[in-house]
Amino acid sequence: MKGRFLDRKAVRFALLSMPGVIFLLVFVLIPILTILVFSFWRTESYELYADWNLENYRVILTQRTYLVFLGRSLLTATLVTLASLIVSCPVAYFIAKHGGRYRLLLVVALAAPFFTGIILRVAALQTILGPIGLINMALINLGFEPIRAFMYTKVAAGIGTAYLYLPFMVTAIYLSLVNFNFELLEVAKVNGARPWRAFVEITWPLNWIGTVIGVALVFIPSLAESITPRFLGGPDGASFGMILGNQFGTTGTWALGSAMGVLLFAVSFSVILILFRTVSLRRSGFTGASD
Amino acid sequence: MGGGLQERATKLWMGALLIFLYLFLYAPIGYIIYASFSVNVVWPFPPEFTHAAYAKLANSSDYKQAFGNSVYLALGSAMLATLFATAGGMAVLKYPVKGRVLVLLVYVSPLFIAELLVGISSLIFNKQVLGLPGNLGSAALANAAHGTAFGFLIVLAQLVRYDWRLDDAAMVFGATPWRCFREVTLPNIWPAMLGAFLISFLLAFNDLEISYYNLGAIPTLPTVAWGSLRYGLKPELFALAALVNGLVFVVFVIMYLLMRTGLVRFGYREE
Repeated sequence: MKGRFLDRKAVRFALLSMPGVIFLLVFVLIPILTILVFSFWRTESYELYADWNLENYRVILTQRTYLVFLGRSLLTATLVTLASLIVSCPVAYFIAKHGGRYRLLLVVALAAPFFTGIILRVAALQTILGPIGLINMALINLGFEPIRAFMYTKVAAGIGTAYLYLPFMVTAIYLSLVNFNFELLEVAKVNGARPWRAFVEITWPLNWIGTVIGVALVFIPSLAESITPRFLGGPDGASFGMILGNQFGTTGTWALGSAMGVLLFAVSFSVILILFRTVSLRRSGFTGASD
Repeated sequence: MGGGLQERATKLWMGALLIFLYLFLYAPIGYIIYASFSVNVVWPFPPEFTHAAYAKLANSSDYKQAFGNSVYLALGSAMLATLFATAGGMAVLKYPVKGRVLVLLVYVSPLFIAELLVGISSLIFNKQVLGLPGNLGSAALANAAHGTAFGFLIVLAQLVRYDWRLDDAAMVFGATPWRCFREVTLPNIWPAMLGAFLISFLLAFNDLEISYYNLGAIPTLPTVAWGSLRYGLKPELFALAALVNGLVFVVFVIMYLLMRTGLVRFGYREE
């Protein structure tokens, strides 16, 4: 009897989850495997040829420019992620704790800028930050020095990237905090824990998985970012994502582009793997049924 | 509540940070709305107002077509994504069978693949392996993959504390699985489904990087914006963005009123 019951559970599980699994395998994982295959091929005048070789990887790993671009993108993505983390934690905490019945509205309001296309928003940011932008013009009119860091620099590109992806981080941390039992903090306080200690020993570890997901949601698109550097980054601000995109546009060197894609994937995957090594699903309350 | 002085100070600076974040996020939006009414969109100072952009927009079929394509793409991909995300989320949360962590990992995997990579890899796959030219369908499917992952995350977070014994109880009393879903599960999980739908709609509606590589010559709003960069952004685009934001604002006001009167709780429980 028990065996049959379990069987039915397994069947229901499969019926519910398999359509999505198959969909994702066909439309995400198999395409990713095709770029892995093509990265060992060769392109000549916009055509792919299947002679297996390591030339694309040799080019990427020996010509300094590609590695410089990758290093720059890695540094920018790391800084953007850290900055977003510092801002997102208190903001998400505030909404989850003090938002009351309006907290969903407060979160959705953070996501609503996404209704405006990325190009328009970045162009508007350019008008605000750029050399003749609002901030600098205001400074000049008031008799101050303009902020050079905002004028088509990597700092400006970083601000733009954070602008685009920060709402993901806030949402992820918020979703984690909504399931967090704030009474635990009261218990800690009653037992004499100082706020800082309660944060380090209760809030942080219990919300770590949501935080890690938020970190991944900002880090991964920031690493691949190709649009903000183009607009805000200035002449020497080109990112790895920009160069990667070019291989599929103007230059038409698909095999090299595929190899760059594989490298980008490998780098982001390693970072994610390292991050998730620190996560224990059981402690995060995922196994839910027990509580 | 109330609390000590230190607690109030913490609340104050966190709230101030939230307000600052809203200002940062909405400054470009405000600028776009302002510029849409200006004679010169590139450098609209000193202000000179006109509604010429709106008149042009009303007369232009290009933007209507692009807008229509964007809505079609977003609706299609959001419906697919919501379906997959809800079913997947329910399966993973409700049935503690072996292998569910693996299923969970497949569902979240698109989150860890940059949109740029999803775009180029589906371009290569469609063109080289399947021999398909760029079209709305393949763009919608590629977007739906990303939307599924985001939606799955939302469903998981919202339903992790849902008590599935309610469903079992209904089944014990003889409800068919479909009736049980419609009358017990659905009323409880719809805010999660709405969240999944909203986020996948939003991502697909304004997606540039996936669509850019998958659409060929078919225009959507983001690709039109991208294309018009070469000649400078057109005022019509600002006007269209301003209209979309107006609509979003109306939806927010409605949401606020519903929450204020407690008519719809959107999954919020008084504690």
